[in-house]
Amino acid sequence: MSWDDKLLKQAKKIIKLYPQKRSALGPLLHLAQSKDGYISDDSISVISELVGITEVQVKSVSTFYSMYKQEPTGKYLLSVCKSISCEINNSSEVINKVQEFTGLNNNETDEEELFTFEAVECIGACGGAPALQVNYETVEGVTPENAINLCKWLKEIKPDVVVADEMQENFGGIKSFDWAIQDNSGATSTAPGFQTLKTTKVKK
Amino acid sequence: MSEKVNLNVNGIEIESDPNKLLIEACEESGIHIPRFCWHKRLDPVGMCRMCLVEVETPRGKMLVPSCTTEVSDEMVVDTESDVVKKAQEGVLEFLLINHPLDCPICDKAGECPLQDQTMAYGPGESRFVEEKRHFEKPINISEIILLDRERCILCARCTRFSDEISGDPLIEFIQRGNKTEVNTFPNEPFKSYFSGNTVQICPVGALTSTSYRFKARPWDLKSTRSTCNGCSMGCSIELNSSQNKMLRILGVDNDAVNQGWLCDKGRYNFEYLNSNSRLKTPLKKIDNESVEIEIQDVYSELAEVIKDRQTKVNFLLGSNLTNEDYVAFREFSEIISQSEKSFYLNDDKLHPGLFGENVDLAKVDDLNSSDAIVVWAEDLKEKIPVLYLRIRQAVKNGVKLVVFGHTNETLSDIADVFYGKETVSENFEIVKDISKLKEIKDLVIGKNITAILGKSTPHQSDTSVTKLFEFLNSNSNSKVLNAYSKGNTYGAFQTLENVKGLNDFVNDISEENTDLLFIVGADPVGRSVYSNQIKSIIEGLDTVVALDNFNHETSELANFLIPMSSTLGEKEGTFTNIEFRTSRIDKLVPSPGQTVSDWEFITSLMNFAGLTVETNSLESLNKKAYENLDSSLSPVFDNLDKPSNLDGMVNVSKPKISSSDNNSNEAKFFIGEKLYGDSTTERHSDSISLLGSKKYIEVSEGVVEKYNLTSGKCTLIQDELEVTVSYEVNKSFPNDLIYIPTNRRELNKFDFSREIIITPSQVKEALNVN
Repeated sequence: MSWDDKLLKQAKKIIKLYPQKRSALGPLLHLAQSKDGYISDDSISVISELVGITEVQVKSVSTFYSMYKQEPTGKYLLSVCKSISCEINNSSEVINKVQEFTGLNNNETDEEELFTFEAVECIGACGGAPALQVNYETVEGVTPENAINLCKWLKEIKPDVVVADEMQENFGGIKSFDWAIQDNSGATSTAPGFQTLKTTKVKK
Repeated sequence: MSEKVNLNVNGIEIESDPNKLLIEACEESGIHIPRFCWHKRLDPVGMCRMCLVEVETPRGKMLVPSCTTEVSDEMVVDTESDVVKKAQEGVLEFLLINHPLDCPICDKAGECPLQDQTMAYGPGESRFVEEKRHFEKPINISEIILLDRERCILCARCTRFSDEISGDPLIEFIQRGNKTEVNTFPNEPFKSYFSGNTVQICPVGALTSTSYRFKARPWDLKSTRSTCNGCSMGCSIELNSSQNKMLRILGVDNDAVNQGWLCDKGRYNFEYLNSNSRLKTPLKKIDNESVEIEIQDVYSELAEVIKDRQTKVNFLLGSNLTNEDYVAFREFSEIISQSEKSFYLNDDKLHPGLFGENVDLAKVDDLNSSDAIVVWAEDLKEKIPVLYLRIRQAVKNGVKLVVFGHTNETLSDIADVFYGKETVSENFEIVKDISKLKEIKDLVIGKNITAILGKSTPHQSDTSVTKLFEFLNSNSNSKVLNAYSKGNTYGAFQTLENVKGLNDFVNDISEENTDLLFIVGADPVGRSVYSNQIKSIIEGLDTVVALDNFNHETSELANFLIPMSSTLGEKEGTFTNIEFRTSRIDKLVPSPGQTVSDWEFITSLMNFAGLTVETNSLESLNKKAYENLDSSLSPVFDNLDKPSNLDGMVNVSKPKISSSDNNSNEAKFFIGEKLYGDSTTERHSDSISLLGSKKYIEVSEGVVEKYNLTSGKCTLIQDELEVTVSYEVNKSFPNDLIYIPTNRRELNKFDFSREIIITPSQVKEALNVN
């Protein structure tokens, strides 16, 4: 077992939330992603033992979903939307600029392991198109210039927690609508931020 | 019986049971719908879309996959409309986009559903001009199975089989969309006892076996239907040969027995037939040296021995004989001498079994119709693998499973209750009051029970199993399936009076009562607990005649060694399985050299000795075998060859087994057999020879502690004998139990009634840590 006690304890807590062990597979994979930045074969072995299915069955699920990365990611996963609403609102330029700045092709990670870039299908922010996500924290109404500013900021500050609201305020534009809830919590890894998974943290 | 539903298919009114799938209902009425992913014995998935048909709905005609649509009353279906044809053409054009069309070098070509259905339903041409998907061609997903992912059409038959049927899902779809492939987890090969079935059900040439790969083209194959004699299940098989060489065995769907499935040992343990080491000429031992001899000379020399009819003859018979062979030996013994005759079977666990007046014998199908199955026997997955599949199937259909004993640990993952080491002691006794076990009250008492009972190890007391049976018999409506696992044991029961096991052989046989001993298809010196004792007995006898396929540790002791034709494809006869179902064994290839069938040998010998016999042909032996049965129901060749009886005929009879109890309470060892061993036939079958070559033992956690084992290897010492083996820890074993598989080389040479010293051995690799 390559997971430490703390992680295993967390995993067992998650498994208890479901009537069947194997139903916890999805969250456990996110947990593995938050640990290593990708789903390692070691983690797959651990999970397979925890939920009582074979390793290849875990592998099958983890490779089916593109949010479970098969290769190590950088500290920040930049996902720029390329679907239709964003495309109409000039997302291709955002994509170009981000790629230019980071020097990355689709699904590549830079040498410092800071950025992983991907152009993705709809992220559900059409009202605020073009939109992008940093570690699944969404920023809407991003101009090509602001996208670069965002990248520069990440590179300079290297925040441990990225918070959607904060990035929206500094680098975003039009929002689809106002959520009216101040949310100071953000993602701490390239897994989406969930409280139960402890992949989220409040930024002080 | 629920009411039938009526539906209209292609303008024809057909009738079907409700809840049937459309594709199945059509099939039963003779309307064929093409398909790739749908398989009668697997759950439907609707992966391939080849079975699309048009069904009339309130919203007009719609294309639906017939493998996931249930029939309903007054349904109107069209399986041949223009829309359906266009859909089929479309599906095939898509399936062929990434299919390499390397038919000229593909083993499946000629019997390939993709090829056939493309001919029958395909568009004839493709509009795809881009590059096809490429994968490394073929990869080994286990020692015996190869996977060519380019040919795969992603029907999920293999993955569903391994998940639903055999319960070892070690292959799965990896990735998604255009990148999808079937694969194993890295360093976790598709090690399954049933992996060969995936090759058989693969609708393309994606899965192939090392055994049959590039050996023949389907149109060159001769084939016949026969019965596997590997264990007592008696699976229906199809033998395939080309140029008089046996090349392949396929499972035949016999609903009552194997339902199309086979274990890998049954499927690949035929390769020894083509081995160069097969015995081809009779051998005689002169001054400790084996000399080739003409078979006529064997007959005349032995005829001298038996001529005066006063010769004391005994028989040690293996389980790979046909019923006709057994009858021939019976007839021979009746003519030659004594009134009360015993036949010794090559089985160190033979016990009287449960055949008394109060026993209701079960059939394999009863597993599905009972409320619960109770198992306490040898490890069924290792010894009767397809029965294990049938238990899995029953459990999947909701039947409860109660398992006793650490010997059946392989069933524990599907069992509702597993009574392991707390309930069954290391001496194989149930140490708790069965009636007080909580789950027994809920699952067993007052219910319909099918009990699979048998002896787990040679030293287990016969009464321990009887006690469990008596409890079941008085507290539930129970039927019993006696789990004798060896080949045609039930054929021997049916045809021979007074059968005994090896423990009785050791006690009974001596120079005084045996002038002539026949050892037929048996290697007790090489593969039984009584190895050493039997060896010294055989060495003390005057004349020993062995009939076998190979020279091995037992047959090399014989004065005469007669090459035997194999029951697998080299002779005709009948076989009786665990539920007394008798089915046909058929011949497909000529047997090599001067090999003879057992019955031929014994009949010719009697002729040479001038003894008159009525049963001098296979037909007469076959009739003789079943002379006590009603002629219309008896499994004689004429009846078995009727199309309605191809699956075999059941004639339950209660055999007379007079083996004595060889319980020794001090047994410290659990002696059993794994599916793969290194018997002579296995050693000469290339595909599986490696699978059973590892020498190992299983030990309880207590043993590891007691002997301070750490390196993964240990040495077993008794007197002069020292064997180094690797050990595996089995957590389900009680205290000091050690499991020793006797079908692995050298391990059977120990005397298991005495102490064996275990010392940890130092392994070089473990010391040289870099």
